[in-house]
Amino acid sequence: MKIIPAIDILGGKVVRLRQGDYAAKTVYSADAVKLARQFEAEGADRLHIVDLDGAKAGKPVNCELILRIRKSVFIPIQVGGGIRTVQAAKKYLKAGIDRVILGTAAIPIIRKLGAERVMAGLDLRGNKVATHGWTKTTTDYPDFARKLRALGVTEVICTDIARDGMLSQPNITPMLKLKKMGFRVIASGGVSDVTSLKKLRISGMSGAIIGKAIYEKKITVREALSAVRPASGLAKRIIPCMDIKNGRVVKGVGFKRLLDAGDPVAFGRYYSDQGADELVFLDITATVEKRKTLAELVRRVAREINIPFCVGGGIRSLADIKVLLKAGADKVSIGSAAVYDPAFVTQAARRFGSQCIVISVDPKRVGDRWLIYTRGGRTQTKIDAIAFAEEMERRGAGELLVNSLDRDGTKKGYDLELLRAIASRVRIPVIASSGAGKQKDFLEAITLGRADGVLAASLFHYGKVKISDLKRYLKSHSITIRP
Amino acid sequence: MIAILDYNAGNTASVANALCRLGVPHQITADPEAVARADKIIFPGVGAAGAAMKELKKRGLDRALKHARQPVLGICLGLQLLAEWSEEDDVKCLGIISGRVKRFSDDLKAPQIGWNRVGKDYFYFVHSYYLPVGPYTVGAATYGVPFSAVVRKDNFYATQFHPEKSGKAGLKILRNFCRS
Repeated sequence: MKIIPAIDILGGKVVRLRQGDYAAKTVYSADAVKLARQFEAEGADRLHIVDLDGAKAGKPVNCELILRIRKSVFIPIQVGGGIRTVQAAKKYLKAGIDRVILGTAAIPIIRKLGAERVMAGLDLRGNKVATHGWTKTTTDYPDFARKLRALGVTEVICTDIARDGMLSQPNITPMLKLKKMGFRVIASGGVSDVTSLKKLRISGMSGAIIGKAIYEKKITVREALSAVRPASGLAKRIIPCMDIKNGRVVKGVGFKRLLDAGDPVAFGRYYSDQGADELVFLDITATVEKRKTLAELVRRVAREINIPFCVGGGIRSLADIKVLLKAGADKVSIGSAAVYDPAFVTQAARRFGSQCIVISVDPKRVGDRWLIYTRGGRTQTKIDAIAFAEEMERRGAGELLVNSLDRDGTKKGYDLELLRAIASRVRIPVIASSGAGKQKDFLEAITLGRADGVLAASLFHYGKVKISDLKRYLKSHSITIRP
Repeated sequence: MIAILDYNAGNTASVANALCRLGVPHQITADPEAVARADKIIFPGVGAAGAAMKELKKRGLDRALKHARQPVLGICLGLQLLAEWSEEDDVKCLGIISGRVKRFSDDLKAPQIGWNRVGKDYFYFVHSYYLPVGPYTVGAATYGVPFSAVVRKDNFYATQFHPEKSGKAGLKILRNFCRS
C-alpha cells in the first residue's frame, strides 16, 4: 500500500483545512518545495498536491508553485484542485505531473482526454459526491463511480469529507464498495495513525493519503511506511559485471577506454566465492563472430558456476535470445534493440518469460529530464528515460538495469535521483549501475535510490572494494543481505 | 541413474550442469518408461502452469509422476505443479500435495527475484506464484506472506527455489537428494 503525504496549497502556503472549510485553516509552512523534498527523503511513495485556491476558483491558481515542486522531487506526483478543462489537465501532464485528479469535471474531461493518466476524486458527504471545492453536493457515489468505470478509470481517491482534517479514522465502507467495483482505491480523510493504516492495508487499499496527522506530528512518513511495509526476507543483490571482448574480460572505464584482462569463468568463480549474488557478462565485441563466441562462453560459465548470470550485448532477435538461454544463461539483457523496436520486448517476454528479460536503460541528463542513449552511449534519442522504463515494464520486462551515462566511470556514486524516479514508478526490480566509487555509494543506491540490486565493474575488478567486505558493511547498516 | 524430466518447460540444462558438477549420472528424458525405470526423478520447471500441465499430459509424464514410487525432486514450477490447483492459468495440477498455488499480492515487486532466507540459508527464487504454508511444508520463506520454500510428502520433495542456482547451499540440497 502506497504512503502518500498530502500538500494542500492556499495562497502559496501549505495548509490543512478541517472538513474542507476554508475558514478553518491552519498554516503549516511557507515552503512547499522544501516540504516535498523532505517527504521524498523520508521515503514517500508519491505526493498528493491539492490546489485549494484552484478548487475554489474553478481553475488552477498555484500551477507555477506546483510545477516547481515537480522539478524538485523525483517520485510520482498527483495533483488536484480546480482542474476543470482539458487544457488545464494537459498543462500539468505535459509538465511531468504523473496523474491529474479530477472531481467536478471528471466525466467531460475523461471523455476527451482518456482515462490513462487520470485519477477520479470521489469526495463524499454521506453517500453523495461533493464538487466545486466541496461547495455542491450532487449524485450518489455508486452511480458516479459506475460512469467512471465505464470510461476506463481504474484508480480513485475516496475522501470522506466529514473525516478530513479531523484526526479520526478513515471511513472504510465506501472504500470497500469501490474496491469491489474494480477500482484501485486510495484512501483519504481520517488517516491518522498506525491502526488506521494497517486496517486500510488489510482491506486491500492501494494507497493512503496522510495529511493532518503528519502536520500535527502524530505520525511521520517513516513510521507510516514501517507500519505498512510487507514482511520480506528478500535480500538486496550485489552484482559484478564483466565486459567481454572476444571471449575475454576487459576492464572498462566509461564505454570507451579498454584494457584486456582475463578468463570469464575464473572471474565468475572468484566473485561467486566472494559472495556475489549474480553475474552479468556484457559482450562489447563488434563482430559477426561474436554470437558464436558468446554462446561458447555462456556454455562454459553455465557448466562451472552455480549462481545466476545474465548476458547481454547486441541482442536483437528472438534467435539470439534462444541460443543464449539454451547455452545456459539465466537471463539476457537487451539494450538498443528495445529502444528501436519495443515490440521485440513484448515478443521476447511472451516467448521466454519475463523473468529472463532484463532491459538495459541508458539515460543521460539533458536539461531537467533524462533521455535514452543507445549504441553504448554514443547516440542520443528523444525518448524520455522514465517513460521508457514504464513502457518496458508494460511490455513484460522482468527487470531494469539502469546505467547512468553521467556517472559511468566517474566513481562519484550512482545517480540516485534517476534511480528513485524509476524505482518509484515500476513494480519490477531495478538494478543500479554506473558510478560506484566506494561502499557508501552502494548503500545509498539502495536506501535513497530504492534499487533492488547494485551492479559494479571496475571497482570490483581492480580490488578497490571486495564483495565480502561490502556485504558486511551493508548488513551493518540493516540492509537485508545474503551473507 | 537420475531422470530429469523434459517437458518443454525450460531449465533442464541448468539442472544437468549441476549434476555434472556433482558427478552424478543423469539423463534428460520425456519418456515415461525411462522415467519409471529411473532411480530418482528430478522435475524442474520454469514458465507458466497452464502450458506446463499441458505438456506433461501430452507426454504422459503426469501419470508417470503420480505413479512414481522412487524419490522425486520438484524444482520451482515443479513444486507448484505437485499441488492441487494453480491460480496461474486457473489450472488443475497433479494433486500429489494438498493446497492451491496463489499469486503474490500487489504489495511487493513481482516476480520475487533474488535470494531469500529459508532457515539459516539463502536460496535463489524467481517466481510470481507461491504455495501457502501447509501440512507438507518443511521450509518456509517470507515475501509479504510466509510461503512454502521446501515441501515433502512421502517420496516427493520439492523446492520453490532453484538449488542449481543457489551456490553452495543449493548444491548441498542437490547432493543430499542425489546421494541419499
